[in-house]
Amino acid sequence: MGLELNVININDVQFGELTEIKESALYINRSELRDLLLEDERLNKVEIEIAHPGESCRILQVADVVEPRAKIEGPCEDFPGAIGKIGRAGEGKTCVLRGTAVVLNDQSEAHDLSQAEDALGFIIDMSGPAADIHLYGKLHNIVVLPYPAEGVSRDGYRVAMKLASLKTAKYLALAGNELKPDDIEIYETPPLTEITKGMEDLPKVAYIFMVHCTSYPAIPGEPVLYGDNIRLFSPTIIHPNEIFDGAIVNPYDGIGTETYVIQNHPVIKELYRRHGKDLCFVGVILTVSRITEPERERSAMMAANMAKFVLGADGVILTKASSGAPDVDLAQTAQRCEDLGVKPVLIIFDRSNRGEVGEVFNLPGARAIVSTANQYETLHLPAVKRTIGKRVTLPSGRTCGGELDKVFRFIRGGLDQEGITNIASVRY
Amino acid sequence: MITKELERSGLPTAQISTMTPIALMVGANRVIPGAGILHPVGNADLDPSEEKRLRRVIVQRALEALKKGIQEQELFQRSA
Amino acid sequence: MSQGLRVVHYLNQFFGGIGGEEKADIAPQAVGGPVGPGRAITNALGARGNVEGTVICGDNYFADNEKEALDEVLSLVRACEPDILIAGPAFNAGRYGVACGQLCKAVNEKLGIPAVTAMYEENPGTDLYREDVFIVKTDESVKGMNDAISKMVNIGLRLATGEPIGRPADEGYFPRGIIRNEFRDRNAAERAVEMVLARIKGEPFEPELELPKFERVTPAILEKDLATATVALATDGGLVPKGNPDKMDSSRSTRFAVYSIKGLATLRPEEFEANHMGFDTDLVNQDPNRLVPLDVLRELEREGVIGKVHEKVYTTAGVATSLKNAEIIAQGIAEAMKAGGVDAVILTST
Repeated sequence: MGLELNVININDVQFGELTEIKESALYINRSELRDLLLEDERLNKVEIEIAHPGESCRILQVADVVEPRAKIEGPCEDFPGAIGKIGRAGEGKTCVLRGTAVVLNDQSEAHDLSQAEDALGFIIDMSGPAADIHLYGKLHNIVVLPYPAEGVSRDGYRVAMKLASLKTAKYLALAGNELKPDDIEIYETPPLTEITKGMEDLPKVAYIFMVHCTSYPAIPGEPVLYGDNIRLFSPTIIHPNEIFDGAIVNPYDGIGTETYVIQNHPVIKELYRRHGKDLCFVGVILTVSRITEPERERSAMMAANMAKFVLGADGVILTKASSGAPDVDLAQTAQRCEDLGVKPVLIIFDRSNRGEVGEVFNLPGARAIVSTANQYETLHLPAVKRTIGKRVTLPSGRTCGGELDKVFRFIRGGLDQEGITNIASVRY
Repeated sequence: MITKELERSGLPTAQISTMTPIALMVGANRVIPGAGILHPVGNADLDPSEEKRLRRVIVQRALEALKKGIQEQELFQRSA
Repeated sequence: MSQGLRVVHYLNQFFGGIGGEEKADIAPQAVGGPVGPGRAITNALGARGNVEGTVICGDNYFADNEKEALDEVLSLVRACEPDILIAGPAFNAGRYGVACGQLCKAVNEKLGIPAVTAMYEENPGTDLYREDVFIVKTDESVKGMNDAISKMVNIGLRLATGEPIGRPADEGYFPRGIIRNEFRDRNAAERAVEMVLARIKGEPFEPELELPKFERVTPAILEKDLATATVALATDGGLVPKGNPDKMDSSRSTRFAVYSIKGLATLRPEEFEANHMGFDTDLVNQDPNRLVPLDVLRELEREGVIGKVHEKVYTTAGVATSLKNAEIIAQGIAEAMKAGGVDAVILTST
């Protein structure tokens, strides 16, 4: 299966009369986009704002970040199962607007903001220390602020807002479909029956991708995998291109990941980059974390079985979704792999607080760890001139645009489950 | 963790937990598998009398664990 | 012209050349210049400095006289006007290691002078002082003397000039519990692929995070017959009275709560709920007995299987609770339970 990403580099975003791209600048017909999103009756208002890198601007209550992408050619519609008809992602040509992102603002009541510590939710600063730690502060961000219509349930709104961000991503990228791309990225791997041809001596590496944590309440209609909210999910083999091309949307409760990261999955990218050179990338297994011990054990065992006996992996990289209980799923899956002789390496963010080790597992097979940032390091953020999102005053009296102390965990992108950032937690 | 400190102070403590690997790893001595993260001693899929019966079985297993003079950690599994 | 670093060296009675165990009671004394291993320090310093004075104290004297001994040693150190104190290496000598750690910490805090010491991992001084003081890792035996000295001097020189000290693994000291997020040259995904290839090839690799070691506790014994025992219920699932009147935290708890269940045959959803950020509390809110099995325990009490259900339930929310806080919370619960005549506990955990 071959996927060609036609990358168009965008260096500015403005509102304009037509939605189009001229000389690397994206112009957006704001009212046309707004009308499109308001077709969903669960929303009664949509605001659209633009934030530029370097601006003194803070985006509040960020629920997800999505890279604008649209299919040029291929057997599926965009985000199949979510906003498009169900069809095969990962094949054909997809247009990518690089240098921009759709940032989804969540207008839920403060106590309904998933995983938040306060009414600010997860923030993105477009300048200052918070902008340095992750890509999102460096992109031209199109912020979508959908408002729930009267009487819409909490879950109904959560789905509607998610779909609004995906529709926006598609709508914007369609502007680039006819244009000559600045870069072309090609991702192609054949099925298992052929993949090791010529690579018999290379180490075989697979990736086990935990995409969802099922400890949270199920959100009916929430799209995660091809539009399904994958609750009672057994480990499943999927082609890596499907992940790049919209088959997976980050769950609403999924901290530490955004759809943007999944579209640009760093582990898959790196495995592709080295495929055929010093390793053979034999495949990807999707899992979810489970809530009972027998289910957890079954999932760990099956994922390890697939890695060893179906994909033939010598080594496997594992990442997780959310935190706490899923760390056990992660460690158990790694241990089962180790037991079978498939060498696991885990990517996890550092949960420790003030020197005390935060992890709750210590299994011999789960010790090869690569760390991303420590979640509790505090960044002191300066006051900003502009905020986008629900303006709130915190119980401490601090305003949302004022000076703030935020730990990495509550900065969108500060928590990194898949290893896309260069930040690591280092012990001194 | 709480169970260990209670034991350390001389109170035999049975921990009913669905995260049995964590409970064992962190050092709880008497670990009884619970029925699920969302309901350690329940199961919403069962009808109420069945559910109560399940709860009773788990609690009785916890009491057996408390009575037992153990030397080291033990996982008090469901019998088949 | 700079005269180089003024170093004061602290030694115990043995390394100070005074004697063995029989001399462990000697009071602190100062000598000009280096003594014993201090000569190796002077050599390692070369032109960059000198051991100006050596303070020697018996291990027992230091351990038994606590504050007085420390004060005496501090005055002797101060009198030498050092730029830096080097203590030990203490290897696996416990009293010596603790003294070195304590002295270095005091020299930092009271004299404002940097200090460095060295000892073996299992020396009790290591865990006691590693967060306060730079402690170089040594072997168990004195064979590691020169290596320890060279590392102590390396670190000491930079502490004196205020230069940053590198990572524990590179410089040879015990991690001090400081965590810093830093930019690396490659992202974690790239480093993970490197690590997996190293693992496959059987090459050495260094994990980036250390996992905790958990100690074991000797199991407690139920002293009486279960049929006469008072059993208490506890949970870390965040059980609270409906409405959470005490505003218990739903994560990162620092305390526990105690609620009366006296006379209650069951936990009713009108009266109790779960306040916990780490799981979906709906099912427990529908029937709190699913978290804390009061209904069943009351039946067993009526049937005489247990003597009594303790009239209080103890609760906290076990989400992201630090291990230290968990310990403090637990000790509080244990004391309260024992004061209340509890014999055994059932704790439910999500």
